Amino acid sequence: MATRYFGQPIKRNEDPRLLRGRGLYVDDVQLPGMLHMALVRSPYARARIRRIDTSKALAAPGVVAVITHADLPANLQGPLPPLIPHPTLKHHKTQFALAPGQVRHAGEAVAAVVAESRYAAEDAAELVEVEYEPLPAVVDMEKALEPGSPLVHEDIGTNVAAHYTQVVGDVEKAFAEADLVFEEVFRPDRGQAQPMETRGVVAVYDRNLETLTIWDSTQAPIRIRSGLAELYGMRANQVRVIAPNVGGGFGPKIMMFYPEEVLVPWLAMKLGRPVKYIEDRREHFFATNQERDQIHRVQVAVRKDGTILGIKDVFLYDTGAYIPYGLIIPIVASCTLPGPYKIPNYHAEFKAVFTNKTICSPYRGAGRPHGVFVMERIINRIAEELGIDRVEVRRRNLIQPDEFPYDVGLIYQDNAPLRYDSGNYPGLLDKLLKLIEYDQWPARKEQYRKEGRYVGLGLALYVEGTGVGPYEGARVHVEPSGKVWVATGVGTQGQSHQTTFAQIVAEELGVRVEDVEVVTGDTGAFHWGTGTFASRAAVVAGNAVALAARDVKAKALEVAANLLEASVEDLELADGQVRVKGAPQRAVSLGQVAVAANPLRGTIPPGQEPGLEAARYFNPPQSAFSAGGHAAIIEVDPATGMIKILKYAVVHDCGRLINPMVVEGQIHGGVAQGIGGSFYERLVFDENGQLLTTTFMDFLIPTAMEVPDIAIDHQETPSPLNPLGVKGAGEAGVIPVPALFVDAIEDAFSGYGLRFREVPLDPNRLRQALAEAGVPGAGSTAA
Amino acid sequence: MQIQGSVTFDAPPERVWELFNDPEALRRATPGCERLDKVGEDRYEAVMSVGVAAIKGTYKGTIEIRDKEPPHRYRLAIEGSGSPGFVNIDASMEFVPAGGGTQVNYSWDVQVGGPVAGVGQRVLGGVGRWLIGEFFKKMQAELRADAS
Repeated sequence: MATRYFGQPIKRNEDPRLLRGRGLYVDDVQLPGMLHMALVRSPYARARIRRIDTSKALAAPGVVAVITHADLPANLQGPLPPLIPHPTLKHHKTQFALAPGQVRHAGEAVAAVVAESRYAAEDAAELVEVEYEPLPAVVDMEKALEPGSPLVHEDIGTNVAAHYTQVVGDVEKAFAEADLVFEEVFRPDRGQAQPMETRGVVAVYDRNLETLTIWDSTQAPIRIRSGLAELYGMRANQVRVIAPNVGGGFGPKIMMFYPEEVLVPWLAMKLGRPVKYIEDRREHFFATNQERDQIHRVQVAVRKDGTILGIKDVFLYDTGAYIPYGLIIPIVASCTLPGPYKIPNYHAEFKAVFTNKTICSPYRGAGRPHGVFVMERIINRIAEELGIDRVEVRRRNLIQPDEFPYDVGLIYQDNAPLRYDSGNYPGLLDKLLKLIEYDQWPARKEQYRKEGRYVGLGLALYVEGTGVGPYEGARVHVEPSGKVWVATGVGTQGQSHQTTFAQIVAEELGVRVEDVEVVTGDTGAFHWGTGTFASRAAVVAGNAVALAARDVKAKALEVAANLLEASVEDLELADGQVRVKGAPQRAVSLGQVAVAANPLRGTIPPGQEPGLEAARYFNPPQSAFSAGGHAAIIEVDPATGMIKILKYAVVHDCGRLINPMVVEGQIHGGVAQGIGGSFYERLVFDENGQLLTTTFMDFLIPTAMEVPDIAIDHQETPSPLNPLGVKGAGEAGVIPVPALFVDAIEDAFSGYGLRFREVPLDPNRLRQALAEAGVPGAGSTAA
Repeated sequence: MQIQGSVTFDAPPERVWELFNDPEALRRATPGCERLDKVGEDRYEAVMSVGVAAIKGTYKGTIEIRDKEPPHRYRLAIEGSGSPGFVNIDASMEFVPAGGGTQVNYSWDVQVGGPVAGVGQRVLGGVGRWLIGEFFKKMQAELRADAS
């Protein structure tokens, strides 16, 4: 039996390099003669620019250029290209490289200063005099819809970018037939990803080769390459974009274009010298995209046995000042809401609303935490109203294992039907209850209460659409040394592609995982692709890698059959060799096969391509649907409002596991970000659109102290939609956390009538809510 | 951000009014004020250097005295901006006779933006109150110096 690589918790190929500090991040790129860019950013959320005087900045020592909108060439003056159109997105307003006479959010780039050092650039940026005429800002999305509200984009006469409704079944009839009808309003607030590495771009133009090389901390190097080539009027093969090691993506780095991504390469070409821009942490808070604020008004129709008959969810989505990324987040929120439950009648309606705030685009979860929060809150309310256990209500509404493929009836973000490919939701729930010891909970809770401790159990289930198309590709190439080189178009920001893709190849070709080198995120290595987002890389690129590896295997067998004078059926690939089954001494190394496939002289069979190499693409017909359940036991100190997570359990199903350790790592990171978004992290804007939380003193991110040990169990229901049977796992960890978090806190104080409709909670909010509910000891410390 | 309060001065409203319209006294009393130049009737240009939390820097701007009702009240419209961001203040100042002296009631509506808002908001209220407190203390000292 050959060694198995697929499915094994193999240690990461990338770690020896990263742990020795040999990684290459954008700021590590040092080029001779390199200049540095700093940006002048608007302090106002909404203002007209009356005048910009750059003369003092230009005269400052070390300054090479100061650029305003008026200095840009025509192709960079207009709105930057829109990303994802939608028929209902009537006003696809996009951001500018530099603000053209008006700013629409605080932090919008107004001028660029290029100097010999970042110090000189920053100092000179302070000398750029901008005269603003401040205008009233649109900050609150409900107020943005009121008649007479100031307009973010005056030319369109409205703050509504899009209004989209999807309906399944007959919602009115469901409400007419219901035993119980209720309404709730839920408000997930604004947050933001905080990758360790902020955004960065370095560009250099080579006049001899007429090529532009860009290092960019993006999640979508190929799209950046194609977009920039188009924008600058160059051939795609004149532009090479490299996303080297990227210190965390989490969604915002899939956005294109950030102004810096357009400005830096253009400045490098214009000035004839390399240019670097590295975003600082404070800039990241308002210049990198944000997410999460929505307001859901949801009506629910239920039968008295707890069966959900219908849901009508009407919500607002705050897109910020522009909407380059389109409607992905609200569509995903709508489509994630039903989750593992049968909702026969469902009205999903939203408006995307412009406000004078930083742009929103997907952040890990991308609408999924919102949908799950609404749905799981609804379930708890049903349980409370009908006096049925919350787990039982869930169980009664679950889609059953024999109902797949299950058609939810909506159109998903990939414009394909929202049809669950496979799953076993009751199985997930059972595993979760076992892991959290749900049957023992009532007794334990009573014991805690006797001890005067407030401890609650929360749980939440979810279904995650993953692996969206349109396609990815990969090339697998065997070197004469026998080592395998793999290139794919997706970028990597910590997902362990260098390991998981290597495992896929190792499994097919019978080579060691460490002998497979995987290159991602370099358009010079593979130049077709889409990007790393929506939990898609393992599904889409992973299957392309598998298909290419299988082609290489077939070719290796064919070439080796000739060398070994054996028939293909009698051969196998193992231990880096092609050998005769049952007679392992009759073998050739894979390297020898590679040489024979590309001979110096002699012949190769007609129709056979040279080299032991293949490139293949995978185009999934629709998304693959992962699922899972999280549960936590949380203790609250009513005097301080602080919490402690006593136990955290995850049951996760992403189809066949390539590397369980890597999946668990994804879950751990997601749970950490989920905890942040549930309790610690909130972006606070004042009534003028000023972001008040631009340091880690105010925007608290969870540290190792706040992230508990996590017990994980897996379930594997393979996807029938791809050769490997895999589903995505990138966002799973974060999705249900806000929902179960508030569930646990409500449970801890059951009997006090607490009902949370907003996230994130924070110690202050929680303490105040507990005091208002009359919890003994709450608010007893001095304010 | 709203900052309100009142301070007593040991002089009648007419005298206090005069003091609060004296550019030199105002310049000396304003913390960090480097320049205060009269550029028109009741209109001044100012340069102020202030630090809030980690955000230190220089603000340039204008100060306008509006809605004057001597010696009872006026409004101050202050607009300043610089590398730390911007500050817009709409302040009402009321001079009320109080047993031979004057009680100055003030209500400042302060709008702050840019880095100073994002980084310093946690301490902004305290710093604002401290700056205003310093200002009134020094104005009291100006009055005493003048009387001596």
